[in-house]
Amino acid sequence: MSKKFISGIIGIIIALLIGALVMILQGYNPIETYQALFQVSLFGLSPLATTLKNSVPLVLTGLSASVAFASGVINLGQPGQLVMGALLATLGGLYLHLPSILMVPILILLAIAGGILWASVAAILKHVFNMSEFISTLMLNMIADYFTAWAIAYPFMDHTAFSPMTPQIDKAGWLPDIGGFNLSILITLLAMAFIWIVFNRWTAGYEWRISGQNSLFARLGGCNIEKNFMAVMLVTGALAGLAGGLVVMAGPHRFLKGLGANYAWDGIMIAIVANNGLLGTLLYGIFFSAIQTGALGMELITNVPSEISQVLQAVLVLVIVAGREFLSTVMDRLEARRKVLAARRKPKEREA
Amino acid sequence: MKTAIDDLIIMRNIVKVYPPSVVAVDDVSITFRSGEIHALVGENGAGKTTLMKVLYGLVPKNAGEIVYRGKTVQFRNPGEAIAQGIGMVHQEIVLIPEYTVWQNVILGVEPVSILGHLDKEKARRLVQSKIDEFQFNLNPDAFVGEISVAAKQKVEILKLLYRNVSVLIMDEPTSVLTPQEIPQLFNELRRLRDSGHTIIFISHRLEEVLELSDRITVMRRGKKVDTVEAAATNKEDLARMMVGRNVIFTSQRTKHEPGKVVFRINDLSYIDSEGRQRLKNINLEVRAGEIVGVAGVEGNGQFELVNTIIGLIEPSQGSIKVNEQDITQASILERRKFISYVPQDRGKMGASLNASILENAIMTHHRLNKRFSLLNGLLLNYSQAKTFMNDLEARFSVVMASQFSPFKSLSGGNQQKVILGRELMLPSPFVLLDQPTRGLDVGSIEYVHQLVLKMRSEGRAVLLISAELEELFLIADRIIVLYRGEIVADLPVENTSVEEIGYLMLEGKTWKKNE
Repeated sequence: MSKKFISGIIGIIIALLIGALVMILQGYNPIETYQALFQVSLFGLSPLATTLKNSVPLVLTGLSASVAFASGVINLGQPGQLVMGALLATLGGLYLHLPSILMVPILILLAIAGGILWASVAAILKHVFNMSEFISTLMLNMIADYFTAWAIAYPFMDHTAFSPMTPQIDKAGWLPDIGGFNLSILITLLAMAFIWIVFNRWTAGYEWRISGQNSLFARLGGCNIEKNFMAVMLVTGALAGLAGGLVVMAGPHRFLKGLGANYAWDGIMIAIVANNGLLGTLLYGIFFSAIQTGALGMELITNVPSEISQVLQAVLVLVIVAGREFLSTVMDRLEARRKVLAARRKPKEREA
Repeated sequence: MKTAIDDLIIMRNIVKVYPPSVVAVDDVSITFRSGEIHALVGENGAGKTTLMKVLYGLVPKNAGEIVYRGKTVQFRNPGEAIAQGIGMVHQEIVLIPEYTVWQNVILGVEPVSILGHLDKEKARRLVQSKIDEFQFNLNPDAFVGEISVAAKQKVEILKLLYRNVSVLIMDEPTSVLTPQEIPQLFNELRRLRDSGHTIIFISHRLEEVLELSDRITVMRRGKKVDTVEAAATNKEDLARMMVGRNVIFTSQRTKHEPGKVVFRINDLSYIDSEGRQRLKNINLEVRAGEIVGVAGVEGNGQFELVNTIIGLIEPSQGSIKVNEQDITQASILERRKFISYVPQDRGKMGASLNASILENAIMTHHRLNKRFSLLNGLLLNYSQAKTFMNDLEARFSVVMASQFSPFKSLSGGNQQKVILGRELMLPSPFVLLDQPTRGLDVGSIEYVHQLVLKMRSEGRAVLLISAELEELFLIADRIIVLYRGEIVADLPVENTSVEEIGYLMLEGKTWKKNE
C-alpha cells in the first residue's frame, strides 16, 4: 500500500515536471501556471467543492471499470451505461412530481436501473450467445449514444431551446449543496464504501477477485463463474448508471447533448492508472478532476490554453503506468542489495 | 597432489540475489578442475542452475569472484563466455526446426566465401568433421524438426564444440531423454572428457551422478554442502546431504483391509467434440482406506477421467457416485462436498499465484465450511480465515513470510503443502490426486507421500494419477492401467511388477498371455 502510494506520488511529480518542461518550451511560466491551476481547483473550500463535484462521474465510472477489470470482466460499456442512467433519471425527473425526500432516492434508483438495464443486454448476449462482453459493451455504447441523442432531439426535447436537450427536471430532484459541497459527493463516497465492502468482505467479492486472477482455479474451487460474471456486469453497470444520474441531478438538471462526452472514458483510464485498485481510483479520480477543473480557471488567469491540461493528463497516465513497474523493480533491487550485504557480512563474522 | 594449474575455474564467495529477496546462491565457493566431469546436485531451487548461469554470464552476480585459467573474469553475456571456451546446454532446447543439423550448428558463425556468401560446402564439411571427431552419429543434412530429442541435444552440444568450447555445462540433460538414450549421452560425455574437455553436469538424479561423474558438489538452499569424490560416496550419503536428513526410500505402508466402497464409476464413456472416444466403459471402485493408482502413458484418458470426475466435462454415458450419491450431473460446488482435489498444474488450476496465501487457502472452504460464513453466507469471515490459515500452516509445516504474501512467493514444495492442506482440511470422503508430486524435490515428494498414506489411514478413498511408476508402487494398494481410454488391468501391487505395468502401459495387454 505505502509502496503504491509512494510510486503514485513520485509519478505525479515527474509528470508535473514534464508538463513544466512543455510549458517552458511554449514560453509560459510553469510556476505561475500550476499556481493558477491548483488555485482554482484545490486551494480553498469553494474550488475544492467544485473539483469534488466534478470528480463524481470520473470516480464512479472508474470504480465501475476497476471492479469489472479486477474481476476479469471486460466491461467497457460505462459510456453507454452512464447515458442510459442519465436518461432514465431525467425522465423520472420530468414526469414525477414528489417531495424531495422521495424524489431524490427514486431518481437515483432510476439511474441505477438504467445502467443495470444496459449492462444486462451485454450480460444476456454473453449468456445466450457466448458473445464476448469486450465487443458487445463497446457496440452498445454507440447504440446508447444515438438512442439518447434521438430521445433528447425528438420525444423529450425542450422546444424552447436551440439545441437538443430536455427541459429541466422537477426541482425536487435537484441535489442540494450542503455547506458548499454537493450531495452527489456524499452519495459517491457511500457508493465507494459499499462497493469496497462488497469487493473485500463479501463472499461474492472474494470469488470475483479470485476469478479475475485465475478463473479456472476459481471454477475448480466451486465458484459459480457464470453467476459471478452476471453479478459483476450488473453491479458495474449500476455504478456507471449512477454516475449519469448524479451528473444530471447535480449539474445542468437536464439531459444536454454531449452530456456523457468523456466522463466514462476518463473513468476507464483512471481505473487503468490506479491498477484497478478501489482507493487508488478514488484518489486519482479526484486528482484528474482537479486538473480538468483547474484548466478552465487557469485559462482565465494566465494566457495558457486549457488544452495544456490534456497534455498533462496524457503525461500523467504514461508516467504512472510505465513508472509503476519500473519503480517496483527499483525498490526490489534495493531490497536485493540489502540481502547481498547481509550475505557478505556473514563470512567476515565467521572469520572474526 | 593436484597442482594449481589443474584448477581451471575457481568461483569464490559467489552471491546471487533475485530481487527483491530470493537468495538463490549464498556465498558459494567451488573449484572445477581441468578434464573432470563435475556433477552439481541438489533439490529444485538449490541454486545449481543459477550458479552456472552466473559463470556463463547469463545472470550478473552480486558478489564474489570468478578465476578462469588463472585470470579474474566476469562474462557480461554468454557470447563472451563462449569466446573464452565456456558453453552451456540448457534444459529446454532452442533450435530452428526448419533448418538442417549443419545449418543450426553454424548459425551465428557461418563460414563465408570471398564474396561474402555463405560457403555451404565448407560449412557442411566442418560440421561433418566435428561429428566424426566426437563420434556423434548424426546426419548433418537431417532437419532438426524431424530428429529425436536426444539427437537435438547432441546438436546443442555440437554447436558449442563447433565454437571450440572446452568447458561444457549441461543443465539436467537427462530430464528430456528416455532411459535407453541416457547411456549413449554418458558415453559421449566421457569421450569428451577423455579428449580434454571439462564437463559440469547439473542433475538431481543420484544414480546418474554416481555413474558418470568424477567429483560431486552437493548444494542445498543456495549453499554448498560439500564436494566429494564420486568413488568415495554413495546414494544414501548424497541424499542425506541434499535434503539435510535421512530420506526414506522404502514404503512405510502398513497392511490393512479397506472398508466399504466410497467412490464408484459405472460404465463411463466420453466422446469428445471431434468424435474421438476418449474414455470407454470405465468401471472403477475405490474403497475407504484404499489408494488406487492410475498408470498410463500421458494422453491415454487420464485427463478426461479427472475432468469428468471433477465436473469440467460431461461424460457421454455412465455414472459417478460417491457414497452411493450420484454426482454425474452435479455442479462443481456440489461435487466438492465429497471430493478433495489436487490438480496437476499448481499455477493454472490449483491456485491463484497473485492472490495471497490466505486467499488461496480458503478456496472451497469459503462456501462449504460454515465457520467462514457470516450473515448466511453474504459476508466472508476473515478472522476465522486467519485462524484457519494459522492452523493449516502449523499442521502442514508451511514455510512462509506472511499469510498475506502472494502465493507465488512460496517455493514449489510449500505451494503444494498449502494446496494439499486446503484439500485435506475438507471433510470429503474421496480424494482425487492428479500428479501431486510433479515438479517437486525429493524432500517434498516424501512429505506428500506421507500425507497420502495418512489420508488412507484416516479411511479416505484415494485415486492417485501418476506418471511415476515408482510412486505408485510405493504408496498405492491397487494399480489400474489406462490404455487408449480403457482400463486394461486392475492389479494389486503385491501381484505385479514395474515391468509388467510398464508393458501394459505401452502395449495395452499383459505379456504373460502371449507366452
